[in-house]
Amino acid sequence: MPDHTSNGMQCNEFDVLLTDALDGVLSGSQLDRFQAHAQTCKACGPLLAEAEAGRSWLKGLTEVEPPANLVANILASTTGVDTQRLRATAPQHQPHISWLEHVRALLLEPVWATVRQPRFAMSFGMAFFALSVGLTVAGVKPSDIKAIDLRPAAVRRAYYNAHARVVRYVDNARAVYELQAALRGIKRNLAPAEPAPKPKDHKNDTTQQPEQKQERNYSQTGEQLILARARLGPSVFDSSNPDLPVVSVTTYRRFL
Amino acid sequence: MEDVQVVAMLVRRCIAGDAAAWEEIVQTYNRRIYNICYRFAGSSDDAQDLTQEVFIKMYRTLPSYDHSKGAFVTWVTTITRNLLVDHFRKTKQDRMTDSMDTTASDHEDAQPLSEQIPDRSAPPDARVRSREVSETVHAALSKISPELREAVILRDLQDMDYREIAAVLKVPEGTVKSRINRGRAELARLLQRTYRQVM
Repeated sequence: MPDHTSNGMQCNEFDVLLTDALDGVLSGSQLDRFQAHAQTCKACGPLLAEAEAGRSWLKGLTEVEPPANLVANILASTTGVDTQRLRATAPQHQPHISWLEHVRALLLEPVWATVRQPRFAMSFGMAFFALSVGLTVAGVKPSDIKAIDLRPAAVRRAYYNAHARVVRYVDNARAVYELQAALRGIKRNLAPAEPAPKPKDHKNDTTQQPEQKQERNYSQTGEQLILARARLGPSVFDSSNPDLPVVSVTTYRRFL
Repeated sequence: MEDVQVVAMLVRRCIAGDAAAWEEIVQTYNRRIYNICYRFAGSSDDAQDLTQEVFIKMYRTLPSYDHSKGAFVTWVTTITRNLLVDHFRKTKQDRMTDSMDTTASDHEDAQPLSEQIPDRSAPPDARVRSREVSETVHAALSKISPELREAVILRDLQDMDYREIAAVLKVPEGTVKSRINRGRAELARLLQRTYRQVM
């Protein structure tokens, strides 16, 4: 802007007062000097007109409406929370929930939902029926279960009784086995000695290849007579009796 | 425009983590910030993105606001203006707005910027005409230099006083007034030229 004086006002001063003039705050002598300068100055006169026109153009612009989702997007990008959804749920009163209702909601409801299914109910019914039949066949009665004494002294007594029964059963079984062994020894002594079986002639028997092969692997074969003495106890045999049972044993030795 | 105590309390609640207070701030200032961005950037999409950026920056720097140093709306507008300057630098629009009478390209046949504004012949319907005039003015506004543009937007569209504008732009009030005068005049010259060609 050229800086020259016209009607007692410089163009720089005019430029500063221009906004005030357009705002309508100039008055008195200052307004007179401003208007006089605008009429005489070739640069400032058109500037006043253009500034006034531009101001009116801009005042004609109205505010534009922001997009409807702008606030929601801003809140989501800043707090990360969909506040519209929160607002929709906020007025609703949250009833007090006790811990028992929490447990029921967390544990019982899922179980009950499973039990209510027909498939599970049928399976449970079949299992109960099978258990009932099994207990009936085994002779277990509900009255027996009811009569069980679960006091510690009673349990301890039942344990000792069961242990004594088991010990007695084992002792009796041992006596029976010893008696059976003594009888077998007596029978063996009274029976005549059987001739030893003749060895088979495998010369022309081509079907016994595995046995021949086994003999080749085990290089030496021998028969030994071993005198065995069975301890039969004093009630059955006297220790001075020299008649001992004879046992025939065949052994195979392998030479490496 | 704002009650200092109310806004200070709102800001304190927001800093303390009150989501409702932050939502109230967003509800109060989103329209203003969106309009500044829209008039400066020229497009609705850019304005929406810039508005979100402004609020994100506000949300992060809210504890730094000191109500004793100035009004909250001045602080908000300063953040907006700084982001607009950054956006302008990134989009390199300054090459297009250096002068209204220079061509946008080096080609000899290229039209001046004033001639690139679309021809808005007067339609019969006054409402349509008013809307098209607004679009013409908006298009012309986006063609003037950013320094002048931000000054006239804050003054004529946001009705801020010169002291507040000086605080936002960080220039003296005299400079603010000079930029406003030049901005208005440049806009008027551009529009007069456009309508003279139409008529």
